[in-house]
Amino acid sequence: MNRRILGMLGLLTSAALATSLAVVPGAQAAGGTIVVWADETRGPNLQKVMDAKSDWVPGYTIKIVTYSSFDALKAAFDKATGTTGPDVVVAANDWVPTAAKSGKLAPVTLTGSQKARFNTTQFFDLSYRGKLYGVPVDINNVAMIYNTDLVKTAPKKFGDMVDFYKANKTADGLKAGLCIAGGGMSWGAHSVFSALGADAYYMAGSRPNYHKFFNPITFASNVKTYLLGPDGKSNGFFPATDTGCKDNFLAGKVPYAVIGNWEWKDYVAKGFTMNLMPVPSTNAGQYGAMFGSVSGALLTSFAATHGVATGAKSLLTNFFGSTAGQVAYQKYEGRPPAEKGAQADASVSAGQKGFGAAASLAGIPQIGAFLNNNAGGASYWDSAPAYWTAVLVNGKDPLVEAKKLAAIWKKNMLAGKADL
Amino acid sequence: MNIVFKGKFALFTKLILLGLISAILVLLIESALAKKEYAIALFLAASLAALCYTYLSRRAVPMKFFLPGLLLLFAFVVAPIVYTVIMSNYNYKTGNIISKQEAITQIKGLGVEPDANGTTFDIVVGKSSTGEYEILASDAPNHVYFLSTATKKTDLLPSQVTLNADGVATSAPNFTKIPEAQLAGNEDYSKINYAYAGKYFISVQGIDVGAVFRQSLRYNPNNDTIENLVNGNIYKDNGRGNYANINDSSDVLQPGWRATNWFANYTKLFSDPLVRGPLVRVFIWTVAFAFLTVLSSFAFGLLLALTLNKPMRGRRFYRGVLVLPYAIPSVMSILIWGGMFDTEFGAINHILGTHIAWFQNASFARAAVILVNLWLAFPYFYLISSGALQAIPSELLEAAAIDGANPRQIFRKITLPLLMQILTPLLIASFAFNFNNFNLIFLLTGGGPKDLLGGQIAGATDILISYTYQIAFGSNTQDLGLASSISVIIFFIIAGISLYGLRKSKVLETFG
Repeated sequence: MNRRILGMLGLLTSAALATSLAVVPGAQAAGGTIVVWADETRGPNLQKVMDAKSDWVPGYTIKIVTYSSFDALKAAFDKATGTTGPDVVVAANDWVPTAAKSGKLAPVTLTGSQKARFNTTQFFDLSYRGKLYGVPVDINNVAMIYNTDLVKTAPKKFGDMVDFYKANKTADGLKAGLCIAGGGMSWGAHSVFSALGADAYYMAGSRPNYHKFFNPITFASNVKTYLLGPDGKSNGFFPATDTGCKDNFLAGKVPYAVIGNWEWKDYVAKGFTMNLMPVPSTNAGQYGAMFGSVSGALLTSFAATHGVATGAKSLLTNFFGSTAGQVAYQKYEGRPPAEKGAQADASVSAGQKGFGAAASLAGIPQIGAFLNNNAGGASYWDSAPAYWTAVLVNGKDPLVEAKKLAAIWKKNMLAGKADL
Repeated sequence: MNIVFKGKFALFTKLILLGLISAILVLLIESALAKKEYAIALFLAASLAALCYTYLSRRAVPMKFFLPGLLLLFAFVVAPIVYTVIMSNYNYKTGNIISKQEAITQIKGLGVEPDANGTTFDIVVGKSSTGEYEILASDAPNHVYFLSTATKKTDLLPSQVTLNADGVATSAPNFTKIPEAQLAGNEDYSKINYAYAGKYFISVQGIDVGAVFRQSLRYNPNNDTIENLVNGNIYKDNGRGNYANINDSSDVLQPGWRATNWFANYTKLFSDPLVRGPLVRVFIWTVAFAFLTVLSSFAFGLLLALTLNKPMRGRRFYRGVLVLPYAIPSVMSILIWGGMFDTEFGAINHILGTHIAWFQNASFARAAVILVNLWLAFPYFYLISSGALQAIPSELLEAAAIDGANPRQIFRKITLPLLMQILTPLLIASFAFNFNNFNLIFLLTGGGPKDLLGGQIAGATDILISYTYQIAFGSNTQDLGLASSISVIIFFIIAGISLYGLRKSKVLETFG
């Protein structure tokens, strides 16, 4: 056998091997299959639901693709193309403006009865330029908890908490009075900003109020009164960072903490005695507004490329946005459902209902069009923690910085108006 | 041993390996074609052909040694550089990601608006007696039923339809329902605008839901414009990846597409004050950071090497200890140092008895960055300096001593020049590495501190590469084209410095 024949045989073998192993790769399966991308917690739970009941959209097969983390999911979706992308992605609300702007999402139209299943403000999160791109799946919000071993009565005013901290700082070895354990110094801390008089934006009913903005003089005055000492430096009541907040709260070294509803189970598991409430404002009976955001099941523009756009739309309404679907899903996921019927279901825990009650006292919808906007030079997400650092760490003048903050938020809101 | 490299066994092994590699390449080509990555498929096919030709032919013996390296060099060095250069000439950012054809499809899809009441119907999809797609629509609360094709709407009386428990019509005369499994396999029916009233039509919004819309945007392929049918505005390709209102260039339709904007990203680097200001500052700090890091690490490493170059007690132990930082993964070291610099809980403030906010003050943050990098880099310079010192002939040093030179003169006139001749390429390489030392900056300071409220978009410790990352991926608005242009500039700076340094040190002549 000469070399050439051997060579040909080798190549033929390789071709045969390749053909035998031939698989057309990519996440997208054959027509009639709706591919859903989700993160490492939502994916397995969705799979459990689909394993139990698969006919949410008659005639279609639903394939769940799970990513190892939320960041991995985001990175994959950023790179997704018509060939590789999903038909539905379970994502954070703040993906909507950029993904819709880049043509990765497709609009959905809900019937009147489907819309009525949700609070209208929840659609802000999932809308861009007047079009809705998905259905709300679960709610994320924060609330303030206080350690009832340390604090015997619920604070009525912000000042009550500061007074308690000052009075017991040394005796109880307190490391701070109020800290942010969940949601970070921007999202989680909005209720503190708001309690002191600085809201990222105001609502007029269910619509944003484009004529009302926070007053930096009032806010700075409150910061001086409650968060700074006579020397103009932080009085230690409110740390500028969330580092160590949860541990210190659990150790009884911080009496008040803002936590996210997804963390509630951890605190209950530690056996702590505590009560849930919104952050009290400087006036009795008023509270700092917390963001209430939703995670959404978003329809992608790739679904049309894959020939399953209609089935994917039906999956959103029949499963993700339905009472039966959200109850079945949240049985495993354990987050507060966004759909009204599911919220009323007996399976929703008392803790999650407590967060819901706190949100109903002082909640505003999280509007990505304003918060993500950086027309003012920085987004809300960047500028909010920067204020705490500038004033509480670097000792800058609270009024000067508050004026900058107010200008940024105002510009962002007005610029974001066009994206709603 | 000879049997391994010669004879039938060697030939057989080679063919098996080649067959396996070819099989993998064929699979990759198939995968690339499936994902419509034609350039990658072409490269893989060319690689397959080159491999087969080279290893099945006697004509290309030297190529048998070079080919794998050349292919990898092309795939992982040349291609990314070429791609970056190409992308730097594109308007490639959030909102301008997809192709123009995809953007037109998207705009057409978005260019509909519901009727004032947001009217929707329960629908059943089927076919008419003529074989056309047809929907049987129900407004159950109002007992309104009708059939609709792309061209005709036929009203029905409640008595003409069969209703289910919810009052939704499920069958009608001359209407044949399509089974669900069949609908799932082919959604062509959903691409049709079913007749409703006047300009309004019914669009399928789910397998059993239709909604009333009218077209609000219309694409005209003859002159590549889009017309707003509601207000008459005309949108034209603005040459930068968007359809823009011909009367108001700021009014653009979304999404846009990736479009060439020849050198506009480069121009923006120097003309846009928002980009130019930070860029100049970041560039100066990048050069200073790389220079100070190399200088301090080299000086400290050389000092230790000189110290341990002389016989002393416990020398082996000290040498072992000194390379320990080099043995620990740098990511871990950086994160540990980050914790040690923490204002509240950090060991450094604790030891010094201070309360310095290291990463909130520009000067302290820069000092911390240099200090941490000194810790990470000095073992490398210690090792190479030790090696180089041992390569200097001791006769030279002895001769100088006999001639009356003192130790300082010997170091300045003999040791250092000889060391520099050996180490210059390594110092240049180190400078280039630190010019792009993304990990250190990203993990230690994140580029901060940054006066965000004051409008700063680059942090005090941001170097060019971390600034580029921030532009490309660091916020909700990503500008990959602009980031690519900065990357290209970094590439030329590094290439220029390296080439200049290598020429000056005449290292390449050694290999000439």
